Amino acid sequence: MTEYAIDIVNITKRFAGHTAVRDLTLRVPTGSVYGLLGPNGAGKTTTIRMILNIIAPDSGMIHIFGRPSNDPKITERLGYLPEERGLYRKMQVRRVLKFLAELKGVRGSDADRRIDEWLERLSLKTPEKDWGLAKIDELSRGMQQKVQFIGTLLHDPDLVILDEPFSGLDPINAQALKDTVVELKHRGKTVIFSTHLMDNAERLCDSVCIIAQGEKVLDGTVTDVREEHGQRNIALALESGASVQRFEMIQPSLHQIFLQKVGARGVEERMSGHG
Amino acid sequence: MAKLWAIIKREYLERVRSKWFLIATFFGPIFFSAIIIVPAWLASKSKATSDVYNTTILDATGTGFGHRLAVNIAGDSTIPGRMPTVKVVAPSELTMAESLATHEVMRKQKTGYVVVNQQTLAGESARYAGTNATSIADMAQIKSAIRQTILASRLETVGLDNEKMKEITFIPLDFSTERITERGRAGSGMASVLFGFAIGFLLYLSIVVYGQTIMSGVLEEKTTRVAEVVMSSVPTDTLLVGKVLGVGAVGLTQQILWIGTTYVLLKLRAPIMAKLGAPAVTFSLPDISLAAGILFLLFFLLGFIFYSSLYAAVGSSVNSESEARQAASPLMIMIVSTGVFIQPVLLNPTGTTAKVLSLVPISSPIIMPIRMAVTGVPPLELAGSLAFLAIGCVLALWLASRIYRVGLLMYGKRPTMKEMARWVSYAR
Repeated sequence: MTEYAIDIVNITKRFAGHTAVRDLTLRVPTGSVYGLLGPNGAGKTTTIRMILNIIAPDSGMIHIFGRPSNDPKITERLGYLPEERGLYRKMQVRRVLKFLAELKGVRGSDADRRIDEWLERLSLKTPEKDWGLAKIDELSRGMQQKVQFIGTLLHDPDLVILDEPFSGLDPINAQALKDTVVELKHRGKTVIFSTHLMDNAERLCDSVCIIAQGEKVLDGTVTDVREEHGQRNIALALESGASVQRFEMIQPSLHQIFLQKVGARGVEERMSGHG
Repeated sequence: MAKLWAIIKREYLERVRSKWFLIATFFGPIFFSAIIIVPAWLASKSKATSDVYNTTILDATGTGFGHRLAVNIAGDSTIPGRMPTVKVVAPSELTMAESLATHEVMRKQKTGYVVVNQQTLAGESARYAGTNATSIADMAQIKSAIRQTILASRLETVGLDNEKMKEITFIPLDFSTERITERGRAGSGMASVLFGFAIGFLLYLSIVVYGQTIMSGVLEEKTTRVAEVVMSSVPTDTLLVGKVLGVGAVGLTQQILWIGTTYVLLKLRAPIMAKLGAPAVTFSLPDISLAAGILFLLFFLLGFIFYSSLYAAVGSSVNSESEARQAASPLMIMIVSTGVFIQPVLLNPTGTTAKVLSLVPISSPIIMPIRMAVTGVPPLELAGSLAFLAIGCVLALWLASRIYRVGLLMYGKRPTMKEMARWVSYAR
């Protein structure tokens, strides 16, 4: 087992007219849950696409489990849930899942067994009803999200990449997702997800990287980040006679650090439409 | 390779399972046998119908001309009822008789009536009025019967007996046509043209239908974002090639089913024609060798690859069906303008137009098979056509894969031609 699941060194990606990712370096330790945080347009999705070898960086290197990211063998160890979700609408759930499994090198009967397990686990297959036989567009949105989620994990990937996984999830599916992330971590898998929901990141992640305008703002374990970047200014103003009953140092939340760091770069204003 | 296979399999099975495929496969042969049976049926229509027997002859000649005419109209038929009714009338009563006959036709008791008089005997004029006056074949039959009767009367006056007369005037001419190619005689000329047309039309239709199928398939993957999941597992080139081959295999399956069932229907053609009440017309399919058959399929596949990869590129560069239709119009123009040339090429399959069009990859997949169906094509021209088409396919695939891999990830506004040209130059 290599030390880093993802090892990115100085990657840059330019599109016509702008630089989406600039000289980014980050390392995701194997077996950790890693949060890629940043406002919209920060370059999170571009970074994820480069990790997945959907697009290639203009310069720099990406290694996944110690091998170049364009190694065809590597893709079978990756599971990806894109930000915007959708599946072949007219296809039967089971066939979609089998197709996705085959693309990841899972063979026929093995795929069938895993599909059954997952469908039962996420209650898409009950003694009364087997949604696996329905077409995708007969499913509710929540069920479709579950199917997509199964498609991401069916081949038991070592590295799971989730792009904005919580967007559009109902509370039940969101909880199921969190549980699964925790379980994946227990099984030694590496999970990297992008989000702008700081409380989720704070609760789930071991390490985070904040990027804005294509550049890394900070990275490290959640504890280190708080230690290093949280400000410890305390202002106490007491009326005469008032007594202090309890006084403790509170670590700043990731949200506060995020606003402080990213907002300082002028992104906050842009996001809120004042820029 | 296993992944390419997974993509081909999905494209193929999902389409073959669809209702649309079943319907098209079922109606295709009906359509194609209609193309072949209807002209034959129409050709049989060019023989006079039984309407000519259900007529009245108003004979004002006073020579028994009417009876002889009736026999001639009926031909050899001696079946009662298959002979026009003859009414001998005095010239002065003709107007009255005509008005009675008109009423009979109006009451649908008769189809029409022929008026013969002294002018007819002189070979100058005769009249016909009836509901089938516009039927060329019926009128030709009556006219030729009148001619024959006049001729017989004249021969009689010079002293020929009845038997001799029949011998001289009976000419049951059957005029058949046959085409000669460089390889020798090749069956009915009409059949070749029909066959060429059917081939051209089939290829034309398949390329349009399956090209657009690919385009909507790509668009669906893009809009539902499935493309991104798939692209994270396989290179875009594999995805594109898998799609083109998968859908191409669907097209090939459909064509083979079409050709097979059309062949069976043609074998059953005689009974079908009999049911339609048309006499069986001898009809031989043009002599197509196995090599030519394989070449047809090769042209289909290459033509399909050429157009469908371009259609895939268009599908990847747009965001909605309506945008896709608009963006695909240059491709449509390319195909339709080829379609416009099908008829001129059929009429002159060895002309310069035909030769040039069968070398250009845009039109060769449709034009060359048509030429092959209707005429002999020199092997050098065939080889040239295939070579250019193969080069065209490689270029189209290369161009398409470059647009495809960028287009699939680009959302928002439709790209301009300039932007697409820049995509082609992107490394990845």
